[in-house]
Amino acid sequence: MLEVRDLVTAYGAIEALKGVTLSASQGEITCILGPNGAGKTTLMYSIACILKPVSGSVTVDGTEITGTSAPHALGHGIALVPENRLVFHSMSVEENLVAGAYRRLSTDRRGVREDIENAFVRFPALKERREQMAGTLSGGEQQMLAVARAMMSRPRILMMDEPSLGLAPLVVAEIFSIIRQLNDDGVTIVLVEQNAHMALQIAHRFCLLDQGRVAFSGAPGEIGEDDVIQRAYLGSRAA
Amino acid sequence: MADFIQTTFDGISIGSAYALIALGFTLIFGVMRRINLSYGPSIMLGAFAGTWIFVTLGAQPWQVAAVTIVGTVLVGMYVERLCFWAIRRDAAVASMVSSFVIWMQLEEVATILLPGRTYPFPELFSAGGFEAGPYFFRMEHVATLAVVAIVLVLLRLLLFRTRFGLALRAVSEDPAAAAYMGIRPNQVTFRAFVLASLIGGVAGYLLLASDQQVTPYFGLWATFKGLIAMMLGGMGSFRGAVVGGLLLGVIEAQTQWYLGNAFKDLGAYLVLFLVLVLRPGGLLGQGIVERDAQAFRRI
Repeated sequence: MLEVRDLVTAYGAIEALKGVTLSASQGEITCILGPNGAGKTTLMYSIACILKPVSGSVTVDGTEITGTSAPHALGHGIALVPENRLVFHSMSVEENLVAGAYRRLSTDRRGVREDIENAFVRFPALKERREQMAGTLSGGEQQMLAVARAMMSRPRILMMDEPSLGLAPLVVAEIFSIIRQLNDDGVTIVLVEQNAHMALQIAHRFCLLDQGRVAFSGAPGEIGEDDVIQRAYLGSRAA
Repeated sequence: MADFIQTTFDGISIGSAYALIALGFTLIFGVMRRINLSYGPSIMLGAFAGTWIFVTLGAQPWQVAAVTIVGTVLVGMYVERLCFWAIRRDAAVASMVSSFVIWMQLEEVATILLPGRTYPFPELFSAGGFEAGPYFFRMEHVATLAVVAIVLVLLRLLLFRTRFGLALRAVSEDPAAAAYMGIRPNQVTFRAFVLASLIGGVAGYLLLASDQQVTPYFGLWATFKGLIAMMLGGMGSFRGAVVGGLLLGVIEAQTQWYLGNAFKDLGAYLVLFLVLVLRPGGLLGQGIVERDAQAFRRI
């Protein structure tokens, strides 16, 4: 469904991605692991058309979207939950959700209303706080809001950048169970995670990114978890 | 006491026009975190276009109003393309410096258009005003207040009830996150500039119709008043801009009445000094300063 081929993305003269090829299949959870600076976030941004790649291609169901714009990628069903959540602090929970549906706000107001109610069914904790400013929510609630907000664009592919960052273990478990639920409902998920242990438990496929290249890709269980974790945190040189 | 109330009313009237200019600065500062120094001069040039058709063609007051407002919007669009759109977001100082350079350019254009120093500006009403008890209400003060009130209500509806308002607030808070929602920050910024210019044009017209004259220095004056009002109320806060503008108008009117004309600006600067020492973020503006600091720490 999502195909990335030979993707090269650079910040000035420095190539953060040096030819990445990977694919995410319909209905699966694909996990991207790797040490800091491996290019995980850059890869996400390149797929979501927030960064313009130097070369290579990104296709969704065969349609080329490489180097277009973030609204264009959203239009093809790709939504991003950014690192650090980035909810709009001075807007209410409900307004954050409406903002997530920005692209279809002028054409489908009724649908947006319904989706907001659906989001509150999925995330009851948010319903109690619908009028509350998002900045007053706890970290876990903000992460849920970020996920709910991204879902408001009705994406087919949901990309999440480090959803467990800075959250307590219990909250992390909750976030992962939400990811699994969304996946059960048919959403294809691309997940960047530092918490390799948790990620490997829910991933159908994973790929190890190291210094801008794919070091390994396959299904969990193809290589031992210890090996994966070592390479995910320390890079291939340590393996 | 009657003097005090009368002066307060006069101050609120002119302060409400300051509030509009401060709102214009706030809108631009909000979406870009950059200050547009040539905002006042843009209004001045719009007003010069207005007074030009008044002086040379003998236009009606409503025509002067229309030309002033449209002129300000056009100049605002020009400034946005040249100083802000062309210069990257992270080069805030470069934008500010270039907006200062454009200020000089706008003043030059105004003096080429009309080489004299002072030009008449048509008043809104020739009728003086009305009395109510011991108080006297000048017609143009009442009209200014009414127009500002309408603009504030419309602006509030626009910001909190429309899709564009949502996008504007989203970009003000976090342009990156807004972009992930499919909002185009550059497009929103441009429209915010147009909106700010529209508001500035209205404010400029009201102030000048009350003064009945315009000089090229109006640009400097408007930028000063708007910035002071914004800093009083708090950078980036819409409510702060309104409070700051009204407060500035009242302080000026009171010091002028009780201490004399020479002390008018001194009083305003003194209060600004106190506010900045005691509440550096302005009266209502603590939020945005803290949020930016937080965002900065996050990086």
